[in-house]
Amino acid sequence: MIVVKDVSKQYGDFTALQNVDLEFGNGLYGLLAPNGAGKTTLIKMLATLISPTKGEIFYNGKNINDMDDQYRERLGYLPQQFGYYKNYSPKQYLLYLAALKGIGKKEALNKIDELLEKVALSDVVNKKMKKFSGGMIQRVGIAQALLNDPEILILDEPTAGLDPKERARFRHLLTDLARDRLVIISTHIVSDIESIANEIIMIRNKQLLYKDSVADICATLNGCVFETTIDYGQLEDFRKNNILLSEKQEYGQMTVRFIHKGNSEDEWTSVPPQLEDVFLYEYRDELEGEN
Amino acid sequence: MRIFINECKKALTSPILITLLIVFSAFNIFIIVSSSDHKEELKIVNEIIDKYGREITDDSLKQFEKDIQSDLLGLTEITGKQFESIYDFLDGLRFEEQEQYSDRDWEFFNSLQLKEMYFGMANSIDASYAEIDVQDGARGDLKGYGISGKAAETYLRENEEFAERFNEMVDNEEHKEWFFAGKPYFMHSFLFKTVFLHITIESLLLIVLMTALITTYEFENRTQLLTYSTHRGRKLMKDKLAASLAVSTVISLFLFTITLGTYFFLFDYSHVWKTSISSAFNWENPFPYVTWWDLSVGEFLVAVVVLVFIIQLLFSGLTFALAVIVKNSYTTFFLVAALFILAWLLPTFMPKSSNLFIVTSYTLSTLTMAVSQSFMGSSGLILFKNFEWMTISCWTIITIVFCTITYKRFRKMDIQ
Repeated sequence: MIVVKDVSKQYGDFTALQNVDLEFGNGLYGLLAPNGAGKTTLIKMLATLISPTKGEIFYNGKNINDMDDQYRERLGYLPQQFGYYKNYSPKQYLLYLAALKGIGKKEALNKIDELLEKVALSDVVNKKMKKFSGGMIQRVGIAQALLNDPEILILDEPTAGLDPKERARFRHLLTDLARDRLVIISTHIVSDIESIANEIIMIRNKQLLYKDSVADICATLNGCVFETTIDYGQLEDFRKNNILLSEKQEYGQMTVRFIHKGNSEDEWTSVPPQLEDVFLYEYRDELEGEN
Repeated sequence: MRIFINECKKALTSPILITLLIVFSAFNIFIIVSSSDHKEELKIVNEIIDKYGREITDDSLKQFEKDIQSDLLGLTEITGKQFESIYDFLDGLRFEEQEQYSDRDWEFFNSLQLKEMYFGMANSIDASYAEIDVQDGARGDLKGYGISGKAAETYLRENEEFAERFNEMVDNEEHKEWFFAGKPYFMHSFLFKTVFLHITIESLLLIVLMTALITTYEFENRTQLLTYSTHRGRKLMKDKLAASLAVSTVISLFLFTITLGTYFFLFDYSHVWKTSISSAFNWENPFPYVTWWDLSVGEFLVAVVVLVFIIQLLFSGLTFALAVIVKNSYTTFFLVAALFILAWLLPTFMPKSSNLFIVTSYTLSTLTMAVSQSFMGSSGLILFKNFEWMTISCWTIITIVFCTITYKRFRKMDIQ
């Protein structure tokens, strides 16, 4: 079990994370927040790449930085920007990483074949990676994270560059893996984790906002999410009075999904809240800033 | 071990290294071959040693003189005239007469000329050395360089000790051994200044580049988040240091083997290996080369190779420490180059009356640039007997401390 205890991270005057407390057991956790919210900072701390300015992170009661390689031998990590050696083939690169992970060559060779097949790269095992597409590189990244059969698997934006078919296969793979280990996926794409995560962690303003199941998080907006159809001309006024989640043009009119807290109107249809609704609602300021 | 080999491979398969190694080797071979026009003349020394022994004694000189007289009779047979010296014949030879003689005759003339030259030099050793006054030379140096105060006192004190060594060397007759004539051929300068300086500077360029490449490889390929979060983690830097030192050794060995292999293939040193490096024939400048210890040519060569090798390993270590902080191979390279030059010029920023002027010359840069004068008391301002071992010891400590500090810092620093 990983316990994040009162962790803060500061870079000079800038605070990246503030007083975060978390607990992870086995299962799949989705770390959901827009870019720049502090997800990667938290993930890098869990991967011992950066140290907390305040607080500690424990694995089974021991500080992960003190555990050093004993902790990292249990870790599989895919960084957001997966770097690779352009002139290496996946097999050469994974062999090198296997050596760094303390895996014997013979064992590594078997494992590499198995993993490259799992990520559908078995036909390009010996091709130089400089010729690979973004999706193929990302799949090599996923394979390397699984090389040491990790107890803790941390994936930072793992679906970047993957096509829909690959995403589906990846979700399936993760569900399998999360049965007997701790899997943390950091993403800003709700659909990546909505259906598979046991718990969702949301960070806002450098602090923990939610750590709960999808259902419980969605329940925070129960009775507040509606859909209705309006004329295009009414859209501006509607935006001012409600929080719009999505809008779709149909037969010359606008079908809008929105949040309204207070008395509803008759023509509005109450709909069950989705995780995406909570995400858009909670991060509306950040998302508006991005736009 | 697999990690270490992988780290080595990153440098050894680098196109820059392979290309530069080929270019530098070709350049060194060209320099040596293009300066080898006198290589046949040098063989006379081997013949002399073969016939009269390595040491110059009164008896062997008498025998040598007799043989020259006998050769002069041979000259009379060829020319039909009697000469007291081959130089008399050559001075009086007119251009149109040259073709009267066959190639074999000319070979004989040249050989006799060389024998007379070496005999003349051997005969004048005692007189030449009697004129040398070490202390007087030291005072001249002080005046020439404008050194005064404490620095001058230190310099003169060391020269006093060197004067004792010089007298001991003369008494031992270490200098009375055959070697290639210094002033006509400058073989010591050519080997230890030109050739060694080429090898040293070229290997340093490659060693600094490759050490920086290995050390910063993960940051430059953006694989740092992956590699330093593995089981090996930041201890990978230790493998990188070991790999840098190993690659430095390979680079040095390669350049030394190719360059010195070519040199000794062209220049026959087979009979002079045991000759003292302080031989009177090894006299190229106003002052002959005189080492603090009785070293033979072979021992001196090995000592200088070992010295250069240690210097290169230390530079590799220093580059590693700098690269851990800088995290960019080219910036590291230019920083090391700048620091090398700065360290070399350091004494010029010091007051010439202070001992700091002397102490600041104890740098790896000075040691590198003055490698031909290593272990010598005749090396001007760096004549100090402790110069080599003190510089190496101090810089070994500095390198170890610097590497340890940067490694410990790296162990704790945030990796972004």
